Amino acid sequence: MRSTEHELIERCRQGDETAFRELVDQYKGLVFALVARSITNRARAEELSQDVFLKVHKGLPYFRGEAKLSTWIYRIVINVLSQERPDLATASLDDRDQNDRPRVQPAADDRAFGDLVMKDRLHKAIEQLPLQYQVLVNGHYLKGMRYEDLAEALNMPMGTVKTHLHRAKRRLRHLLETEYR
Amino acid sequence: MRCDDLEPLIEAIADDSLQLSAEDAAHVATCANCTQRIERARSIESLLSMREIAQPQAAFTHAVMARVVQDRWKAERAIDLGFNLAIAAGIAVIVVAGAGLAWSLGLLSVTIDVEAIVQALDTGATGRLLSQVQTVAMSAVLLTMALVLWWWAEAARD
Repeated sequence: MRSTEHELIERCRQGDETAFRELVDQYKGLVFALVARSITNRARAEELSQDVFLKVHKGLPYFRGEAKLSTWIYRIVINVLSQERPDLATASLDDRDQNDRPRVQPAADDRAFGDLVMKDRLHKAIEQLPLQYQVLVNGHYLKGMRYEDLAEALNMPMGTVKTHLHRAKRRLRHLLETEYR
Repeated sequence: MRCDDLEPLIEAIADDSLQLSAEDAAHVATCANCTQRIERARSIESLLSMREIAQPQAAFTHAVMARVVQDRWKAERAIDLGFNLAIAAGIAVIVVAGAGLAWSLGLLSVTIDVEAIVQALDTGATGRLLSQVQTVAMSAVLLTMALVLWWWAEAARD
């Protein structure tokens, strides 16, 4: 743990409100961006992001510093999202459980790819992914989040993160080829 | 058959984390299906990279701090309520124990004089009040003690 991070945590533990304000300012961007990518309703996303920081505030006295602060915060984000979308949190990641094969011939005409509508379709398709996949896809493309952060937050080895990320994107491609055409 | 073999690798090819073997590259070059799949995967990759990054509202930190204060206040209220209930229960225990002790030592006896009660009921309001002075006085003393204890505990906490 970096000394500045350690100092910040210690100050927060001692009840220094300015320190906690600093902590919120430091992480609010990533936390909100990550939550907002899974929760379409902006007001709800704000509320859930605030919940994350309330849990951080309550949990800081018990935070032992074994993981990085950012990793711990991302874990809280995943927990909060799991509570919000329990259906997705328990969805299977096993490809064999999914009807994952393209139901449309890939060679079929698909002019919609690449246009602006595609962004909306992509967003809807991401919302259908299991939560772990959502966090991977949403987090990986956020500036400031690294493979290592995702691996630690999701409690996965690095290699598994890459494999799951590819699987998540494959499932996205299949969803876009079928449900969201 | 090769298309099925390549299918699980399309995303890795699209994000350049996997280099195709010469044999696979030759297949892709002549296979419309695989070429299209890779193109789609690259489109998705590109769209994911270009997604907007939502920013929280300017007052986000302030809102979090307000909720922290609100949470703390709720917790303190719960502690206060628990403390007051504990004090009340403690006083009740002391009173009951004291009365029990006095009764067991013969300092307190409970007799029910039905005739006196009937007579008391027959007298006016003043008479009834006078007969309850002892009870009222005891209640007042207990209430005062509870208030003093509460005040003392609050002062000590501050």
